[in-house]
Amino acid sequence: MSTMNYPQRMRQVTSVKHPDARLVAATAPRRFKYLNIPFLLVVIALVAYGLFIVYSATVNNDTYNFSRQAAGVLVGAVLMFLLFRYDYHQLSHYMVFFLIVNVVLILMPHVPGIGATAKGATSWVNIGPVNFQPGEFAKVTVILLDACVISKYGGKLTNPVDFLKALGIMIVPFVCIMTQPDLGTGLVYLFIAAVALVVGGADVKFLLITLAVLVAGVAAVLILDPILDNMAGHDVLLKDYQKSRLLVFLDNNYDPTGDGYNLKQAKIAIGSGGFLGKGYMNATQSALGYLPESPTDFIFCVLAEEFGFVGSLALIALYALLVYLCYRIAYGAKDLFGTLIVMCITGMWLFQVLENIGMCCGLMPITGIPLPFMSYGTSFMVVNFTLLGLIGSVWAHSGR
Amino acid sequence: MLLAILAGIAALAVVLAIVYALYRRSKKKTEDTVPHTKDLKQVDTYGVEPLKQKTSFGTTGTTEVPQHTTSSGTAGEMLNSRFVAMGVLAAAIFGTLSAKLWSMQILQASDYRKQAEANLYTTVYTPAPRGIIYDANGVPLVTNRSSYTVIADSSVADDRDVCLRLSTILGIPYQVVRQNIQDSSTGAQNNRVVATDVSLRNIAFISEHADAFSGISTEMRTARAYPYGALAAHVLGYASTASSSDLQNADEGRNVLSGDVVGKSGVEYTYENLLAGDHGTRTLLTNASGVVQRIVSETNPTRGNDIYLTIKAPVQEAADKAMRSTLAPNGQLGAGNGSGAGLVCLDATNGEIIALSNFPSYAPGNFVGGISSDVWNSFNSESSHYPLMDRVVQGTYPAASTFKGFTSFAALQCGVATSSSTYYCSGTWTGFGSSYAQKCWNHSGHGTLNLVGGIAHSCDVVFYEIAKGFYDQRATLGETAMQDYVKEYGLGSKLGIDLSGEAEGRIPTPEWKAEYFKDAPEEAQWLPGDMTNMAIGQGYVLVTPLQIAAGYAGIATGTVYRPHVMKEVRNSLGETVLSFEPEVIATPTQSEANAKLVREGLKEVMTVNNYDDRFFSGLNYTVAGKTGTAQVSGKKDYSWFVCYAPADNPKYVCACLTEEGVSSTVCSMPMCATVIQAAMSLDAGNIDSTSVEYIDGSYTTVASSSSSSTSTARED
Repeated sequence: MSTMNYPQRMRQVTSVKHPDARLVAATAPRRFKYLNIPFLLVVIALVAYGLFIVYSATVNNDTYNFSRQAAGVLVGAVLMFLLFRYDYHQLSHYMVFFLIVNVVLILMPHVPGIGATAKGATSWVNIGPVNFQPGEFAKVTVILLDACVISKYGGKLTNPVDFLKALGIMIVPFVCIMTQPDLGTGLVYLFIAAVALVVGGADVKFLLITLAVLVAGVAAVLILDPILDNMAGHDVLLKDYQKSRLLVFLDNNYDPTGDGYNLKQAKIAIGSGGFLGKGYMNATQSALGYLPESPTDFIFCVLAEEFGFVGSLALIALYALLVYLCYRIAYGAKDLFGTLIVMCITGMWLFQVLENIGMCCGLMPITGIPLPFMSYGTSFMVVNFTLLGLIGSVWAHSGR
Repeated sequence: MLLAILAGIAALAVVLAIVYALYRRSKKKTEDTVPHTKDLKQVDTYGVEPLKQKTSFGTTGTTEVPQHTTSSGTAGEMLNSRFVAMGVLAAAIFGTLSAKLWSMQILQASDYRKQAEANLYTTVYTPAPRGIIYDANGVPLVTNRSSYTVIADSSVADDRDVCLRLSTILGIPYQVVRQNIQDSSTGAQNNRVVATDVSLRNIAFISEHADAFSGISTEMRTARAYPYGALAAHVLGYASTASSSDLQNADEGRNVLSGDVVGKSGVEYTYENLLAGDHGTRTLLTNASGVVQRIVSETNPTRGNDIYLTIKAPVQEAADKAMRSTLAPNGQLGAGNGSGAGLVCLDATNGEIIALSNFPSYAPGNFVGGISSDVWNSFNSESSHYPLMDRVVQGTYPAASTFKGFTSFAALQCGVATSSSTYYCSGTWTGFGSSYAQKCWNHSGHGTLNLVGGIAHSCDVVFYEIAKGFYDQRATLGETAMQDYVKEYGLGSKLGIDLSGEAEGRIPTPEWKAEYFKDAPEEAQWLPGDMTNMAIGQGYVLVTPLQIAAGYAGIATGTVYRPHVMKEVRNSLGETVLSFEPEVIATPTQSEANAKLVREGLKEVMTVNNYDDRFFSGLNYTVAGKTGTAQVSGKKDYSWFVCYAPADNPKYVCACLTEEGVSSTVCSMPMCATVIQAAMSLDAGNIDSTSVEYIDGSYTTVASSSSSSTSTARED
């Protein structure tokens, strides 16, 4: 399948026939059978770092409530440990169920009475005191759906009809979320599907053709948009705020008091942090309100301002460690379904880290994608812990 | 922008093509080296595990790689290449982010730190009070008072609720509130003045209900105060909020900020840099909404320098009052004599201006806190006769018979006339031929006169003869002998007074006429008639009342000093930092005998015409002077009077021009008499130097021919 050589160590670690000594040590005591200690340590470090920063960002801000974030961690942790014991294998039979759940969840905000619109997108559901973004929870079912679909092909997706069939099913959540519309979450769904295809052994030719079609589609949207806008007299494809975000992305100094304000302030926060940062709770940019949305989408800027390059790099190191450990679990999974679940989750986190930190630095256009384990948001936290639980389940049921 | 995106897409397409090409190449290679790969893969998909492959574990080597793909101990092992790809992706993402953070937090950190500080610190400037303007004896003519000001952000104009609330609180119509906020001339974006002199109660209300008045702030500013109303309005000038051009054209070293009050005319304008103080500064730490967290540093504003003028308030008051009662009895311009006038009284021994008065006048207080456009328009309308104009300095008029003093001196100095020259006036003069006959103002004629008599009776024929003399002797004297001499007194050029907009006037020469009429060659030739007209101060001659006063000081004393209104400047500690030294700008060539002759003529003007008894009786000094009646086309005659006293030891010169005054004896002469006597009495100690009365600047215009219009003026 490939001429590339892979690292010797990875093979040794994941080989059943030649189990790695460290793995044996970690799994030997029976009561720790379900726990991957290094993985848990990294997760605990990440979550603790996140709570630490969120506290600093919310302590003087009445809009946000730190205890809600802490509650999210607690609920999520319980959920995670419950999932550890659950055998994920059964889930592979519920493809149709996941598809239905996805469609229902994502279209839920359109139901009159419980749906709510904010910032131009019908993404919220309010039931009594509980309000949440179903599109956020749907990330879990999208991952499971994509893993179900692709695992059926046993790591070899070389038939164009199969490829198109798989693509057709996996694109459904994206189409649904674009009715809200929520391009940011939609891109996350697309990236999950892409990871599933790549890891699931789809023919490279198909992947490249799909990518080319996507690029052509984006180009067509950009070219047709002004023409259609002119003909219709209103926004057809791209919304005004999306265009201005693109403008800001292409020219970081565009409209620094208006559309470019967030990016400018975000960059000032990060850059002014310097090497060691301004110190905990000393982030003037967020504390004095120059940086909007600091606990949610721009939480990284608070970290970068308070702890500087050292603190930022520490976070990136933690993410890298998490990704490495996840890859290892995926590699060692007993079946393709398990591998796909873990790789899709990891891929999604990678994408969110890239997009979120990237947008704070001006490397990526601004979208409302939160930073895993760091950003303020109870449902986001619960979702991430659910995903951790799934990874744990795959680890625990890898047959060792 | 679209171009950039398309370029990006094109670049991506190229990368894709390269990746695909590489992929095809590597695939071909694989097929070449391991022909059975495809078969193995197919086997693999059925989950069959070739047992012999296990032996390859622990060995490395590219040739063996394809074999590993078949030995799937775990799900991951059969997808090695895909894991490598995902690993490369992760490494690329983390690498890129780290590199970007390195560049921002290490390489550009100081840049961003500066920007963060610029966010945090705001410097607020407190306007400094302007210096006070005093008269020569320390009477304050312009002072400061505090004024509570309501200031709005420009966006408030679109906020109907806030505008309505302001309108209710301040008692200003809603439309006016909006207009004031939209008016960009009062300051920058966040500094639009809504109202000044707001009561403390209303200021407190607005401050307490900040929520209901978003975008509104209040400030205590200092405003100019004029304790004597319109007294010396044209000397003091007015000050008002800096316009955008004032901000741009501020002198180097000056920090003029929007919202500052700057001088626009008079002394306020000339000595702007001395009068303006230094702003107080306050550096504040603010949050994003501009709420002050703490004060970082603070300096207090320093008041500008005080200016002491040469103006003597009691004399100025006498002048302003005389003007008002002569031209606008009961405040009605047109009901008295003349439609406008300028009067100046200066010290012939040093050039100090004792009084400078114009009518119509205005109250500078109208400009405090911004002048309303209605008042501004009325100040600049023809029907109001332009009260802002300083006629003394800026107005140019035919000199008429006041010019004869200079003509006489010129004739004597050039030998065109002597003390024994006699002239015969029959009422008509035909010196240049009967077809060029010119009349004396006295059509019945003056009979036989010498030069002194010619001056005393202002006989035109005498000066026609003098002009003819200059014309006839132009070969020996030069073509412009008369003009050259007259110019020695400062006529036809700026005297350099420290008030803005000074006019040059004009003494015509053949050269000037050729240039002036260069488009009409038939008019451009210098004619004998131009000489005769000039000799009596008509024709193309134009002078300002200030030039006449300064010129007559030259006739009376032999020296012309630069006229000025500033005496000295004292800083806020009361120390004199600058004082004006008398400056001689001309010493015309005068022989003692000739001077005596001309001065005798000017003295006789008073006695021969009985002016001394009518206007200067009971004085222990004599007065010399000269009248003038200028013909202006389409207008009633303009009346001149210029005099100096004491005639034998001249101290003060006073000149006055009244537009459409018809006869000097009903306007210019009595006004000059009042002023010069006030100046002399003040010196003699007969008037209290500090007792000054309030001068009303408002007036209405009545015209016999046209409908009356009103010039509204707010008094201070």
